[in-house]
Amino acid sequence: MHEHSLMKDLMSKIFAVAHEQGGTTVSGVKVRLGALAHISAEHFKGHFVEAARGTSAEGARLDVELMDDTNDPLAQEIVLDSVEIEE
Amino acid sequence: MTKKTRTIKVDYLARVEGEGALYIKIKDDVVQDVKLKIFEPPRFFEAFLQGRDFREAPDITARICGICPVAYQMSAIHAMENALGIQLEGPLREIRRLMYCGEWIESHVLHIYMLHAPDFLGYEDAVRMAKDHKEIVERGLQLKKIGNEIVSLVGGREIHPINARVGGFYKVFAKTEFDGLKERLKWARDAALETVRWTAQLPFPEFEQDYEFVALRHPEEYPFNEGRLVSNRGLDIAVADYENHFVEEHVEHSNALHSVLKERDSYFVGPMARYNLNFERLSPLAQEAALESGLGRECNNPFKSIVVRSVEVLYACDEALRILESYEKPDRPHIDLEPRESVGYSCTEAPRGILYHRYSIDAQGRILNARIVPPTSQNQKTIENDLWKFVPKFLDLPEEKLTWQCEQAIRNYDPCISCATHFLKLDLERV
Repeated sequence: MHEHSLMKDLMSKIFAVAHEQGGTTVSGVKVRLGALAHISAEHFKGHFVEAARGTSAEGARLDVELMDDTNDPLAQEIVLDSVEIEE
Repeated sequence: MTKKTRTIKVDYLARVEGEGALYIKIKDDVVQDVKLKIFEPPRFFEAFLQGRDFREAPDITARICGICPVAYQMSAIHAMENALGIQLEGPLREIRRLMYCGEWIESHVLHIYMLHAPDFLGYEDAVRMAKDHKEIVERGLQLKKIGNEIVSLVGGREIHPINARVGGFYKVFAKTEFDGLKERLKWARDAALETVRWTAQLPFPEFEQDYEFVALRHPEEYPFNEGRLVSNRGLDIAVADYENHFVEEHVEHSNALHSVLKERDSYFVGPMARYNLNFERLSPLAQEAALESGLGRECNNPFKSIVVRSVEVLYACDEALRILESYEKPDRPHIDLEPRESVGYSCTEAPRGILYHRYSIDAQGRILNARIVPPTSQNQKTIENDLWKFVPKFLDLPEEKLTWQCEQAIRNYDPCISCATHFLKLDLERV
């Protein structure tokens, strides 16, 4: 039930990074989903497409890396790995 | 010209940034606008119930909430039984009340000890409070555990129980299976009494308001599953008339609908509404404790809802013990029901207030449509009204402290968004 709020936080970070770096469009986003993160890749993609609609990240390529180490300290997290921008 | 792309390494952890936001507009030290925004997106439960068997509604709707799944099960079950024209009596009806006692205890105690009390004592959360008030926090955890135990025993598991069904239960229990629970409930009743005394001496801001309270009222009992819908301004209707008197409005700034009374406007549901409209139906012990604590027979200060919740926890322990004392194993766990084309209505008293369900089913028992109105959407407009009156008292505070005060005012209602310590994002506009 927290996906919407998580995605809002993630999108504002993506836009902040793009803005700081002088990007006009976000062309790609890579995230890492921890082995125990409570969201599947498919579910995440659905929320991302919805959140990006009508923004400078609309149509951005989404690369989701699924982690498999349940003992990783970030196993429960969603980590924004990198943002690709067009200048 | 080809656009240049660049990849920036970030490594940022996504965080839940808050489930709600509060927008306040101030001009010349006068509040111009207050909007409580709920981010939680629509979940479409009413739509995906369509086409499902009528027996599935209790388990599907229980998934709406992890804190009050019993309320969803009870509203769904009673609505279906209303559609099929039956009303359970005797021990099966009593076990349902017992299960609701368990849910009130676990939900209320969580709110009293873990969320609300730290507000009054100036702690950020219960973990920090535990450093200075270890015994109190331990008492809260122990008391909550008894609520969990009731739901777990009667319902099959603590969260999203699986034993309740339309027509009764899947499994019922011999009287002796409750022996251990009875002993622990006696401790819980004492702890609940201590909780009333403890919460009553917390420092409360002066904030008496004129509300329309709405709750169920049963002829003899403090309400759980049955009764008429009444208010302190003359409402007195059968549950089936709910939609003739209440309407849900979509407001642009929130994903949660605002429910209002058609004849008037906002209204208040939950422990304070139940207490004010049903004081004389509380057990003698709960009434006495409430009066001794100085609460009075009526309470119009939402900050004191922590005391009212404590009185309801005491009642729930007392009522659970009464049920267990006179309990006899039912002859059969449930009655079998044949579907027919019909419409059923139910309102039950979830910890946070009335929870309305209405279903239409066809001759095969398939759900044609469903309507669910949870308590938080019914209180949302009242919460905004409180903030209109509350915020002007604190306009001189720095933003961080003002946010905290507003969180407290919202937390009085135990809304579904308030579990997070910092659930609120304040957007203050001074013009």
